[in-house]
Amino acid sequence: MSAWSRLVDWMDTPESGTSLALVRILTGGVVLRTIGAVWWSGVTQAIWYDAAHGGIRDLGRGNFLMKMLGGPTPERVDGMMALTMLLGLGVLLGMGGPIASRVIAFATMQCFMSLADLNGHAGGSYDELITNLLWLLVLAGPTKTLSLESLRTTGSWTSGRSLARWTRLLVVFQAIVMYATTGWQKVSAHWVPGGDLSALYYILQQPTWQHFDHSWVAWVYPLTQVGTIVSWLWEVTAPLWLLAFVVSLGQGGGRIGRWLRLLHVREGYLVVGMIFHVGVAAMMNIGPFTWASLCLYPAFIHPWEWERAWGRLARSTEPPTAT
Amino acid sequence: MSAWRHVRTLLVLAHMLAISLMAFPAPSGGMNRSAWKDPSVQAEFKAWRQRLAGWGYELTAEQFEEELWQVASTYMGARTAVLQPLNPYFMYAGTWQSWRMFVGPHTHPARLRVEVERDGAWELVYEGRSWEHTWNSAIFDHDRMRSAVFRYAWARYARTYPRFVDWVAREAREDFPEATRVRVSFFKYRTRSPAEVRAGVPVEGEVILPKVRTLGGEP
Repeated sequence: MSAWSRLVDWMDTPESGTSLALVRILTGGVVLRTIGAVWWSGVTQAIWYDAAHGGIRDLGRGNFLMKMLGGPTPERVDGMMALTMLLGLGVLLGMGGPIASRVIAFATMQCFMSLADLNGHAGGSYDELITNLLWLLVLAGPTKTLSLESLRTTGSWTSGRSLARWTRLLVVFQAIVMYATTGWQKVSAHWVPGGDLSALYYILQQPTWQHFDHSWVAWVYPLTQVGTIVSWLWEVTAPLWLLAFVVSLGQGGGRIGRWLRLLHVREGYLVVGMIFHVGVAAMMNIGPFTWASLCLYPAFIHPWEWERAWGRLARSTEPPTAT
Repeated sequence: MSAWRHVRTLLVLAHMLAISLMAFPAPSGGMNRSAWKDPSVQAEFKAWRQRLAGWGYELTAEQFEEELWQVASTYMGARTAVLQPLNPYFMYAGTWQSWRMFVGPHTHPARLRVEVERDGAWELVYEGRSWEHTWNSAIFDHDRMRSAVFRYAWARYARTYPRFVDWVAREAREDFPEATRVRVSFFKYRTRSPAEVRAGVPVEGEVILPKVRTLGGEP
């Protein structure tokens, strides 16, 4: 068998859809949270209405979808926000079969982009991460389990119907691309080894992203230096996480694969990443970036690991049987 | 069906290649000479010139910036050419990749200030991250608004900043009907080092970009 055929087979290996279903549920939740937070805070008029309707900037006619609809009038923007949240709920709940679920994810993505693209000054990388996640859901169509679709077709929230491995691989690959390329761009003298490793300290002092004043960090400065080098190394070496993920799917990979499995490198990166994101969310307001990033994480955990963990949890909460 | 499996694998690999090319490091947001004048950027340049000098590559500040500009311009030209055919995929499939997050700390940040004039005296009603001056903070402190306000302290957003001030004036007119004027500005300062904070050295900075708008109140 040629290397190409082996690759095709490897990509097509069927697996349970649990991991990807969790990615889908979290992504739908993040869409709801992101648009809902704009509506709740009352910031819509300032950032997504045109200056003629009380906004800060002249927004033009918006992206191709907003243009097709006739431009961003307040009624259209409000309607689009409501529609995006409704569609996000559909993604979260797992509505639709193989075709309808993809249409829902695609429509969610387009509606979300039509809002996020209205004002390039008032957004961030989280917008791109969310649209990327939604596109991966379009490609995967992951409503086979933990979904209304599963309930409708099998009578149960869960089902054993499988997905091809490439669907999950794309989510993992997206995470690695994001982390590695952000790390490779951190060439500031405050980040790179050999400098003063003060990046994290100074970032925490930036008023734009603070929840509140972080002058107190000056008294634990060495800890921020450790945080700087750990987060820089973690991002720069993220491709190793991809390798660790791939070798964790089987027994191959030779000596390197054995070491990566033995040292639990995949799990180590995962834990550091989660600590990093939760820490950032506790100290800084960077919008939905933390939650959008965490949408990627269930894909790093194999479906059989989720199912094993769920089985353990279910057994531990079962009432003891009378003997 | 078998052929489709092969085509699908090719498409998966094409997606991976496309997003990798798009995400590959590039100084997109930094291709602006006016932004290079910011003290944070100048401090970075100085640190790198010193590092290069340590490696035996001496450059003046002007030479360093000129060489950097040339290299970055050439690279960006090549990058644009490579990504051009892929742009429809990024645009319509929502697959833009721009992960330039906290690439360098901003050591000379700016804090938004809004003051209103009442009975001939200026009163600070909003200041970024203040617990005391919190007018309209639900809006100013939303992450999307923070992102916008961050930009307005930079010279390259000089055309939008007056529009922002106009918007603040409209909001202030409603909430402070008795006020005569509103003044929007930024307090730009050098972030103190950890040692300076511990020693209690005061923050040094200056008010920049002050802009005043007349409101409806009686003088």
